[in-house]
Amino acid sequence: MAPKITFDNVTKRYGDLTVLDGLNLEIEEGEVVSIIGPSGSGKTTVLRVLMTLEGIQEGVISLDGEPFTHVRKGDGFVPAKPAHIRKLRTKIGMVFQSFNLFPHMTTLQNCIEAPVQSLGLRKDEAVERARELLGMVGMAEKEDHYPSQLSGGQQQRVAIARALAMRPEILLFDEPTSALDPEMVGEVLSVIRTLAAEHSYTMLLVTHQMGFAREVSDRILFFESGKFVEQGHPDTFFSNPQHSRTKEFLAKVLEAN
Amino acid sequence: MEWDWEFTWNRVLPAMLEALPVTIQATVFSFVLAVVVGLPLMLLRKSSIRLVSVVVGEFIEFVRGTPLLVQIFFLFFVLPEFGITLPPLLTGILAIGLYNAALCSEVFRAGFDAVPKGQWEAATALNLSPRRTLTAIIIPQSLPPIVPALGNYLIVIFKETPLLSFVAVAEIMHVAKGIGVETYRFTEAITIAGILFLILSLIAAALVGIVERYVIRKVYH
Repeated sequence: MAPKITFDNVTKRYGDLTVLDGLNLEIEEGEVVSIIGPSGSGKTTVLRVLMTLEGIQEGVISLDGEPFTHVRKGDGFVPAKPAHIRKLRTKIGMVFQSFNLFPHMTTLQNCIEAPVQSLGLRKDEAVERARELLGMVGMAEKEDHYPSQLSGGQQQRVAIARALAMRPEILLFDEPTSALDPEMVGEVLSVIRTLAAEHSYTMLLVTHQMGFAREVSDRILFFESGKFVEQGHPDTFFSNPQHSRTKEFLAKVLEAN
Repeated sequence: MEWDWEFTWNRVLPAMLEALPVTIQATVFSFVLAVVVGLPLMLLRKSSIRLVSVVVGEFIEFVRGTPLLVQIFFLFFVLPEFGITLPPLLTGILAIGLYNAALCSEVFRAGFDAVPKGQWEAATALNLSPRRTLTAIIIPQSLPPIVPALGNYLIVIFKETPLLSFVAVAEIMHVAKGIGVETYRFTEAITIAGILFLILSLIAAALVGIVERYVIRKVYH
């Protein structure tokens, strides 16, 4: 069976700066993968190009073996049309560092907007699904609140419910706890932990929470200068890193913790 | 020169009030045109197709860079040379509306740019269509800065309508001048015209304030 996600020689540049440098990556269905690495290494960009928030200059990203950012033409590939991208993009949901809830909509409205508008659900179906998910993230009581009336941790939990309401198969978490006050990190991590343990989502996390990454992931990727330097099972990765840059990075962050 | 109350009440005021609907029509239609054309102008200027954004950008610069009176004259005197003859009021509405559309497009741009990039990204991540992203996510959030600025343009447009007297549209100022020329008494007519403009400006400003507070409550809670 084809991998859930395939990056085939993906290169992303901003002007002269190469952020992703011929990236190759395969992620299996149901796999939970954490990407770690120094700031500015491009790890967030991996998620952003997968979500099609940004284009890529070279290479192809495929989902379930089907080209996503491009389509086959003759022997090669051409950039995919928006309709093709929109069709496959429903497989992916994303949770952002800064939550990005819609501030003019209540918690519930945030969670039904896209299911009604882009999946074509009936409103009552969407509401039922949203309430179920809000219950799961512990936000059922706050469905009539606006984002400005919620704490950061609560907003992020709503954002997770909003992403889940689209029934994605792949979930992307872009530093989901980095913008939170320390006392709210736990509540968000526990929701993500539940998702990783009890559901079959393919998950890709960019995080600075090493302990958490180690606990929930099936695989850790260490990313630096647009490339994966090292990857491995969390147990071996953290206890016995091979590459000198990985050792250096882990020494620094573990010391800080 | 003495102020003649009887002349004011019997001659000036009735004529002014008769002209008032013309001024209001010119204002309202010009404003609607400015808004309806200004929004797509801004979207076209932001277009990723370079030719479109450059052409629209140049058009906006051209309109902004020439006096409104010149544009009114141009539409009124030059268009008929090309076989397009429009009634004076319509010509005036077109000129004032397009001129302010160019200015309003900048207001829309500022409003759009004020919406955080993360909102566009969340809409993409939720697979909303470009159209739904605009109408349900971006435009509502861009209103709080846009509404007061557009309200300001409404009042500016209102105060620009006397320029239409140059092409003989029977709005307040044109009628005031007419009375002056006819009777050699300008004081009453021009003063009343000024007072009418002041009263209407104040009413318009109050209405804009109400809409502004409504939008802010709706968007920010």
